[in-house]
Amino acid sequence: MSGGKVDIKVVLLGKSYAGKTSLVERYIHNRFIGDTVPYQNVITIGAAFGAKTVVINNKSVVIGIWDTAGSERYEAMSRIYYRGAKAAIVCYDLTDKSSFDRARFWIGELQKHEEGCQIHLCGTKYDLIEGNPDLRRIDEKETKALAIDVRGDVYETSSKTGKDIDKIFVKIASDYLNSKRETLEEETSDIIKLHPSKKHFCPACRS
Amino acid sequence: MASEIKEADHRASTSDSEAGNVDLLETNDIPGNSDNTLLVVSDSYADLNYVDINDSDIKSHRGTINALVKKKAKRGNSVTTADDGIAADANENNGRDDEDVSEHIDNTSGNNVENDSSEVSVDDSQDDCLEQNLADLSLQETEDIPVSHLIRSTSDSDYVNSLEWKQQRKHIFILSDSGKPIYSRHGSEDKLVTIMGVMQALVSFVQDSEKDNLRSIVAGDHKFVFMTRDHLTFVGISRGGESTQQLLLQLTYMYNQVISVLTHTTLTRIFKQHRNYDLRRPLSGAEKFFDNLLNLMDVEPGLLLTSVRCLPLDSSVREVISQTILQHAKVKDLVFALIIAQNQLVALVRMKRYHLHPMDLHLIINLINASESFKTAESWTPICLPKFDAGGFLQAHVSYLDEECQSCLLLLSVDIEAFYILSECKSRIKERLIRYNALEAINASLKKRSYSIQACSITDLRHFLYKARSTAQYTSPEFETPYHTKEEQERLFSLYYYLHDRIHTSGRPLKILFHVGQYETLLGWVTQGFELYAVFGPLVTKMTAIHAVNKLLRWIKREEDRLFILSSATF
Repeated sequence: MSGGKVDIKVVLLGKSYAGKTSLVERYIHNRFIGDTVPYQNVITIGAAFGAKTVVINNKSVVIGIWDTAGSERYEAMSRIYYRGAKAAIVCYDLTDKSSFDRARFWIGELQKHEEGCQIHLCGTKYDLIEGNPDLRRIDEKETKALAIDVRGDVYETSSKTGKDIDKIFVKIASDYLNSKRETLEEETSDIIKLHPSKKHFCPACRS
Repeated sequence: MASEIKEADHRASTSDSEAGNVDLLETNDIPGNSDNTLLVVSDSYADLNYVDINDSDIKSHRGTINALVKKKAKRGNSVTTADDGIAADANENNGRDDEDVSEHIDNTSGNNVENDSSEVSVDDSQDDCLEQNLADLSLQETEDIPVSHLIRSTSDSDYVNSLEWKQQRKHIFILSDSGKPIYSRHGSEDKLVTIMGVMQALVSFVQDSEKDNLRSIVAGDHKFVFMTRDHLTFVGISRGGESTQQLLLQLTYMYNQVISVLTHTTLTRIFKQHRNYDLRRPLSGAEKFFDNLLNLMDVEPGLLLTSVRCLPLDSSVREVISQTILQHAKVKDLVFALIIAQNQLVALVRMKRYHLHPMDLHLIINLINASESFKTAESWTPICLPKFDAGGFLQAHVSYLDEECQSCLLLLSVDIEAFYILSECKSRIKERLIRYNALEAINASLKKRSYSIQACSITDLRHFLYKARSTAQYTSPEFETPYHTKEEQERLFSLYYYLHDRIHTSGRPLKILFHVGQYETLLGWVTQGFELYAVFGPLVTKMTAIHAVNKLLRWIKREEDRLFILSSATF
């Protein structure tokens, strides 16, 4: 699936209750309702789509964000959500060890099926471990090692306080602009290469 | 509630007639009926018996989606390869699921049967052990089994014996045929391992020894109804007024909900590969659909009548809405496009030759009703409609058209890649509906709620349900005094259940039933064209009631353009 008006397709993946929807809510609407609304009521069904325009170096970029459901039964479907994605934010709950295993699973899937997708690791609910460091279940060393593996960045975010959320998307947008500049340059060099092909035209002209 | 009715029965003069009063109906014009059907005409209730419960209807409807996808392939659309890819995905994924069982410890399912073990073999033996226990139980050698095996811990048995749990009016359980708990309406199914084991033992005892099926048990006020389908056992226990058949209908809705989340294909495959599979894993996050569906059954007569209620709208407004959808959602592979507002159907446009079944529509309504998440963003979600095609998913684009999240637009397609196209359709539809003041009209109608019984100006008529059979739609007025409290509404519902049951009981179906109860008089009347259930004050005579009902039919006829969707738009 590729969107018409969307410049960058970003997909959020991770175990259910990792906080993907909250992250998107914070980023797009700048709000946090996780404290007041029970999780059961807002659990994502299928996948939700949201878009936001960011301006970087006077260039505006539309980011289309796919917030996928964490439930296992949607796994079979998930490929359609991350197909063609420029970036993936793989989320795990900093206070839940099993969510990191799930993150590894998603990274494996992405590496297998979507090589062109830049992976960003995102630990969520930082506010919880900030208040009580004992709650941390995921070692920073481990995440950094994994980040080097996937050649991506690690973020530890909090949708409640807004910590580091914008940072991820700014990074994604500027990565996109940089790569666009590169491809533009490549394309210009392509045009030069096209010149010799003019020769092929000549026999046709003669006839 | 049940006792009240029984009591009423004693002094009631209940008269029913098979054909009787020939000139009952003064008009041949049946309100709310139309040849141009929108929904599948359904007599699911009449069809509902144990004989043909063996998925015959599921099988006959299999392959609708395939046919649509094939048609798409014929058009030479390259997207089909992508679809095949997804089918392969599903298979692949299934294989992966199996590995998952052994690889990951599932923290979410702290099942009592399962030890906290990551190895599937241990899991199996545990289960075999339980099964052994159950088998023993069914052979009535209970004294040989250490009690501790059956009652896992005292706290669990305490819970089951707690007054709060016992006093629930209705219990619904889903368990797998190896006795694993899957769902319980009240309380956590984890704590009900023992009681579900007993239920499974009862079912399999009858199956094994008599080569027969356990259908229902009556114990005092309580009725237990069992339904086994596709390795799942559904149990409904009620001390309300529901009949066996009505409970069976409710269990069928539950079964449909399971299918809607998983598809029949996946469900059968899972249990073919692992008889002991914990179905709560793929169902996780879907519990609220079951809860919400059961709550809906208690307040929404449409599920009992297998028909839907339409939002009252001027036919011109409705025409504008369906034409807008028709023009701006002309997209290949779009099967259904519909707007739903507060559990009522506003408009429905369908692909030629395909109809929506009311039971499927109830699942869609339940999906919308149960999820808050659709309110924040446009969603793209798979949904299986068992009556349409139990074998596969349709993809639903779900979005709200207004800020207050009242009117919900659903676009159901067989093309898994269609999100962005449908998203554009949605923006166009929304824009036009605002420009033509159609959303305003919907909101105005929602604010007024339905209509008052006084609008019919019939004295002593308190409430009614009217179902037009050929269009599978029903209408009923608001709940007003004396039915303004929750208790009274429940009582009114049980009266309808009683009336419905008396009329439809398969042994002796009736056409007309006049029932004088303690607090009200009931008239039920079923013809080829309609079903009418009317509730009058207690002192109404048979003649007055019949006059009133005729007047009511004329009133509905006058209002039919507003209350029903009589023309159906197709792409």
